[in-house]
Amino acid sequence: MAVGTILFILVLQTVLRFNILDPVLWALYFPSFLDGIVLTLRYLGIILPLSAVIGFTVGWARIAPFRTLSWPLSVFVDFFRGVPPIIVVIFAAVLGPSLLPARFRSQDIGIIIAALTLAMHSGAYQSEIFRAGFMSVPRGQLEAAQSLGMTRGAAMRYVVLPQALRLSIPPLANEFAVVVKDTSLLAIVGGFELFGSSFIFEQQILFSPGNQLSWIFVVWTAVALVYFVMTFAVTELLNAIDRRYHVKGLEAVTV
Amino acid sequence: MRIVDILLAILVTLGILAYILDVLALRWGLSTTYIAKSYPNYLKAAWISLYVTTIAYFIGMGIGFVLGWARSVQTLPLARVMAARRREAVAAADGGSPGAGLFLGTVFVYSIKYYVRRTADAYVAIIRGTPLFVQIVFVWSAVIVFYPRLDPLFQGLLSGVIALTANTGGYQSEIFRAGIQTVHSGQVEAARAIGLSRWGAMRYIVLPQAVRLVIPPLTNEYIGLLKASSLLAVVGSVPELTTFGRSEAFQTFHIFEAFALVVGIYLLITFPVSKVVEWIERRYRVPGLGIQAPRTARV
Amino acid sequence: MIRVEELQKRFGALHVLKGVNLEVQKGEVLVIIGPSGSGKSTLLRCINLLIEPDSGRVFLDGTQVNRRDIRPEWVRQQVGMVFQSFNLFAHLTALQNVTLGPVRVLGTDAAAAEAQGRKLLDRVGLADKADAYPAQLSGGQQQRVAIARALAMNPKAMLFDEPTSALDPEYIREVLDVMAALARDGMTMIVVTHEMGFASTAAKRILFMDAGRIIEEGSPEEIFHRPKQERTRMFVGKILR
Repeated sequence: MAVGTILFILVLQTVLRFNILDPVLWALYFPSFLDGIVLTLRYLGIILPLSAVIGFTVGWARIAPFRTLSWPLSVFVDFFRGVPPIIVVIFAAVLGPSLLPARFRSQDIGIIIAALTLAMHSGAYQSEIFRAGFMSVPRGQLEAAQSLGMTRGAAMRYVVLPQALRLSIPPLANEFAVVVKDTSLLAIVGGFELFGSSFIFEQQILFSPGNQLSWIFVVWTAVALVYFVMTFAVTELLNAIDRRYHVKGLEAVTV
Repeated sequence: MRIVDILLAILVTLGILAYILDVLALRWGLSTTYIAKSYPNYLKAAWISLYVTTIAYFIGMGIGFVLGWARSVQTLPLARVMAARRREAVAAADGGSPGAGLFLGTVFVYSIKYYVRRTADAYVAIIRGTPLFVQIVFVWSAVIVFYPRLDPLFQGLLSGVIALTANTGGYQSEIFRAGIQTVHSGQVEAARAIGLSRWGAMRYIVLPQAVRLVIPPLTNEYIGLLKASSLLAVVGSVPELTTFGRSEAFQTFHIFEAFALVVGIYLLITFPVSKVVEWIERRYRVPGLGIQAPRTARV
Repeated sequence: MIRVEELQKRFGALHVLKGVNLEVQKGEVLVIIGPSGSGKSTLLRCINLLIEPDSGRVFLDGTQVNRRDIRPEWVRQQVGMVFQSFNLFAHLTALQNVTLGPVRVLGTDAAAAEAQGRKLLDRVGLADKADAYPAQLSGGQQQRVAIARALAMNPKAMLFDEPTSALDPEYIREVLDVMAALARDGMTMIVVTHEMGFASTAAKRILFMDAGRIIEEGSPEEIFHRPKQERTRMFVGKILR
């Protein structure tokens, strides 16, 4: 796969006429590049765990027999699934700070709020994944646990949950990869993560004379490569977890 | 007990919604005059979103179908194919018949199939592994560099359609591949056993079923692409719904109204469609036959 | 030991139990037979309170147990259940399946639970499969682990809901043997089954149930060879070939 990637980049270089290893460019671009990557990772450090917590809690709550709990949450989920994340991000960043007491208002807070909104957005999708995981565990498991005298809570904890979580991991890997890509949305509200800082750098190239336009392709190819590596790493990490805890015979039922 | 639960649920849901809307409207002001005056413009912008989405969707479907097909065909790695053919050629040489030409010919065909398949795999992997933002900007940069004198609106439109087409093509190929493969296995065997050719089996057995299987995910993909089209806001020159809402908000300062209108229109389109698809999937579900969830374009 | 009086249960428009009465003495084996849909499974689940009856009374050792002030979990600790679809916990080994109940519900110390678990697995003939996962076991083996799991709770009585109906024929024998041994050791058992061989040898009494009611009751000899009711005669005729 590494060979294929290098081959592909070489082909792209020839077709679009750029040099990916241009040292002049990298001397200028590297700081933004690195800062962008670091910031992306920091955003991910907040968004990924938060979205998982939201997703799990909402997913759990939605299978509870109380409609009073599950209906409002269904509205929450349907809202975030029906609206493009970018629009929620934009308005969260603009309107969010005004909900806070005056001394906290700043653009930085806006970006944080936008990141939190992204966590909610992914959380909505993850709640569906966890919910499906819970529902995939056969009802007989709960019955059997209760017939041993376990309370519903104990049965959930020792029998249903371990199985539901194992079943949820593969689709979760996919969703985490999406979150990695979603961080790029923060650029539009001023976040200087990888996409944002690269975009600004690109604008500088475009508007200053004498700079080679082909540098743009170098930048974006490099950026694409980094995202590719990050999504791959995230999915592989979850696949490794899946392999570690995998039990033969416990597979999701394809519906 | 059940009735109480339902009534309480409705109460709580509407209550929370009303409270949130009230707080927001109070805080940022809700000008109903603005909404009443501008909503046709928003609808026009929505129309552009749909327009862009639909073009990209159907061209992408062509790409996706071809790629999905290519990726669902079983191709062995080159080394194994060569080893098998070598064995055959040795056996044939003893009997003294077809020569190097035929042997090389088959190897050639197999290696073509293999590399075509690998290229398709690479394409889909790139689409799925990189953010749509990056894809759009990449194409946009290419368009600007190679056609600098084009009108910005057209530049934006062209890049947007190309990027969205490529994106949905990748995701749709996954859908088609899954559809073909789900039906494939034992049914092709059975079809050939009653005398159908490989192509005949494909045409009369696999495809009719695959078509039925892919319709729900393809519909979801359309909705996903519509939401993805909002990312054209980064280009700025295409007045689709999100871009329009954003510029309206910052120009007129009716931020919350703009937000409400944009969100409202998206929900108006996506919510009914996804619910209908969910209902169809639930109703016509055959246990054990289906395509697993998210394979749709998402950022 | 277990007594049930006038049990009624409706599921929506479906009237599943229409006033069922039964009684089982300590150490007795009671077999319930009947066509599908007659309410046998529902009856069993009312006894260990997995299902709450609409009306009627369930008694365990003379005490009424379907009451608000008695925890159903406590009742289920006294009465074990074996299911048609085994319902082994898929993410745990056989031994872990057996020890989960004692450790998490009874508070037994882990080492003691494991020792007891191994003894029980040995009793059902699966000592060497202690570390196997359910997916690696045959149906018969899974069901035997399920029996060991229920026994680990030291129940006063055991309920069996068609324990061999989901098994391939070659595995039925081994499960019935375990159940017969259990009966010989004096366990109070209520068994819903179609296995007439087991019913005739192990059961003291047989109940025939149809459409939510107990139609007839008697010794195996009486039910199979001299049924008094027409419906009993028809059913027995169909299953005794």
